[in-house]
Amino acid sequence: MRGAKRQQQVMGRALVALVTVVMSVVVVEAAAVLDVYRMIQYDLGGVPMGSRRAALSHHATSGFAVPGADLSRAVVILPALKVNISSLNEFVQNKGLLGGLLLLLPQRSNGSGGDGDDSDENVAKALAELEQWLVHNTFQYPVYFAYESDNVQNILQEITANDAAGRPATATTGGYKLVVSVSDAKKLPSPTLTNIQGWLPGLRPAGDTSMLPTIAIVASYDTFGAAPALAAGSDSNGSGVAMLLELARLFSRLYANPNTRGPFNLLFGLTSGGPYNYNGTYNWLRNFDQRLKESMVYALCLNSLGSSSDRMWMHVSKPPENAFIRKIFSEIENVAQDLDLTVEPRHKKINISNSRVAWEHEQFSRQRITAVTLSQLEEAPELLQRSGGIADRRKTVNETVVMRNIKVVAESLARHIYGQEGKQVEVFAKGSNLALSPAYVRSWLDLLGRTPRVAPFLGKNAPIITALHKELAQHTKDASLQHETLDSAYVFYDLTKAQLNVYQVASVTFDFIVALAVGSYLILLFIVLFISTKGVDDFIGVFRKPPSRKYKST
Amino acid sequence: MTFFHFFNCAALTFGPHAVYYKATPLSEYDTFSTCIKAAIVYIVTTLIKFVCFATFLQVSEHDGFDLSQEILKGLIGFLDVAGLYYALTQVSHRSISQNHKFQAVGLGWAFADAVLHRLAPLWVGAKGLEFTWEYLLQGLESNANLVFTVSLAALGSLMWLRKNKPAALVPFIYVSAGILAAMPSITSYLRKGLAWEFPRVVSFELSASLLMAFVTWRLFSACQRPAQ
Repeated sequence: MRGAKRQQQVMGRALVALVTVVMSVVVVEAAAVLDVYRMIQYDLGGVPMGSRRAALSHHATSGFAVPGADLSRAVVILPALKVNISSLNEFVQNKGLLGGLLLLLPQRSNGSGGDGDDSDENVAKALAELEQWLVHNTFQYPVYFAYESDNVQNILQEITANDAAGRPATATTGGYKLVVSVSDAKKLPSPTLTNIQGWLPGLRPAGDTSMLPTIAIVASYDTFGAAPALAAGSDSNGSGVAMLLELARLFSRLYANPNTRGPFNLLFGLTSGGPYNYNGTYNWLRNFDQRLKESMVYALCLNSLGSSSDRMWMHVSKPPENAFIRKIFSEIENVAQDLDLTVEPRHKKINISNSRVAWEHEQFSRQRITAVTLSQLEEAPELLQRSGGIADRRKTVNETVVMRNIKVVAESLARHIYGQEGKQVEVFAKGSNLALSPAYVRSWLDLLGRTPRVAPFLGKNAPIITALHKELAQHTKDASLQHETLDSAYVFYDLTKAQLNVYQVASVTFDFIVALAVGSYLILLFIVLFISTKGVDDFIGVFRKPPSRKYKST
Repeated sequence: MTFFHFFNCAALTFGPHAVYYKATPLSEYDTFSTCIKAAIVYIVTTLIKFVCFATFLQVSEHDGFDLSQEILKGLIGFLDVAGLYYALTQVSHRSISQNHKFQAVGLGWAFADAVLHRLAPLWVGAKGLEFTWEYLLQGLESNANLVFTVSLAALGSLMWLRKNKPAALVPFIYVSAGILAAMPSITSYLRKGLAWEFPRVVSFELSASLLMAFVTWRLFSACQRPAQ
């Protein structure tokens, strides 16, 4: 009795398991599954830019000139470094239709550049050029980036071999099929720019009720690139952010002791919206109250100070002959000389009617606040150029250079604050408790180098924003966030990361052939069994017409 | 695989059973109920086998050929033979000749085996786009399995249902039946112990099935003669 019941139970459970297995969601097997990063999709002043599609389901091909391939139903896989931008440009200008484009980026190595710096530079240059071209064009098909790996290399080699042998992958011949199953991207509703500021008050002499003069130190922390999920901007402007944080740390130590607190307030600002004509800085300044604006002596903007170079430029919008600008410049130059750094002034007049803001200090100048930008970039970048995209990797930032630049800025700032111009004084000496901390800078450079920071995709509560806020709060008296909406001329669309499935599919012809083979096998089997069991006569009898019934009645 | 490929593989896996039923006199004598009963006996036997597996076998970490485990699996595999014995002898069939009885039992048994072992993977794998040869090979394997099962059923009917057998042939009958019953162990040894690839294993199964079918046919016809 119990045995039969147990048998029933076991059978019941087995049956349920069987049914569940049959009905359950299919296990998808693919030759490879890759993480892919979608190209940015945005509207600039109503003009659609970037890649306008996201879903992908086409056969793969290895180039544009493959005979017999239907490009409008194919995904072209190109290693990013081998792209011929001019021919690609021609293709796009002729409104060529493509099923999709997959660009392969060189594998990211974890070691910091020591192996072939030259090739690294060339790689960075080539990628930057490609990125610039991509960002300023419109593509009506999906464009994705992926990192090269052994798997991908093998697949690409096979595809290239097949294409060369005259067997491109199509629906009728089979081959590799690339599938990204996502729905179309949607507009990001009112993207937010978040400015983070920290306030270090100076020492007011007893009895003085007027506002102390303020010096602002500013760096924009967000980036823009061809692939928002990859735009980590280590040099532009991760280096500036790391410098600002180290300066905040050093001066907070100085200001902690009332005996060494300077007679200047220090305002640290991490602004967002840098690539979009410093939109965040504009909003930040607009919200300053009048007293603060009047107390501002000058603002020091930091941008891209991490590449290996012995030259730095001080970009100004006031003419360099201006006495105050000359004073600031000479302070910096004096310190820089001792550290083998050449600093040069560079003047760019502001054109009020032109909305383009190439440097952050220009936003201050438009509000009649004296400001300079320190940068290792010689020329003012164009719109959406040098904004920290794929080409700007952690490897390209030289820590030694960043530390040296921090020292220059810190010492010259200290000399200005404590009135030590022209004197050979070293405030942040090595070995003292005010020494610069390479470990601190490195940890921030590393974090920033692996955190993509395209502002519309960050939202209000992104971890990096919280982290920067907390850090500033540690070093300053008053750290606060300010949220503003991005200028409506810029509209962004979501969907930055996806998974690409690479399937090896058989052609329809193959299926037909197999169907034919199986069909003829079954027919043959039928004939053989029929004949062997019932005899040949019966078999032939199947084909003969049955004798007509008419004659039976007689 | 796409649905087209699914149909191809399903036709290759289950088609021969239907063809066998239709082409041979089985369909004329309405042996369908026998096939169904044999299938049910197969399901029960398999469940008992799996309960024994779960109880006695350990899960091995590596994919190699563990001799003691495989011997145990082989012994439990002989439950199959017991099941066939039950199906052939104990279950009451409508009066059909012995010839047709073993064929019907073998057919039902093989069909249940094909459905339980091969339908689920086929269905689950059908919706994917990725193409593999596996399902076609599985179809060929089920063909070979059909031949194995019918041969084993034939030998089983010789052993248990026929009383007068020429004495010289009896050991051959038992040896062939033993080989057929041990087929699953042999194939798993080939796959795991010698690391043969699937296509090679399937071709071995096909050729072995034809060989055993021939041997069985000779034995069967040799045993027929005294009765005539």
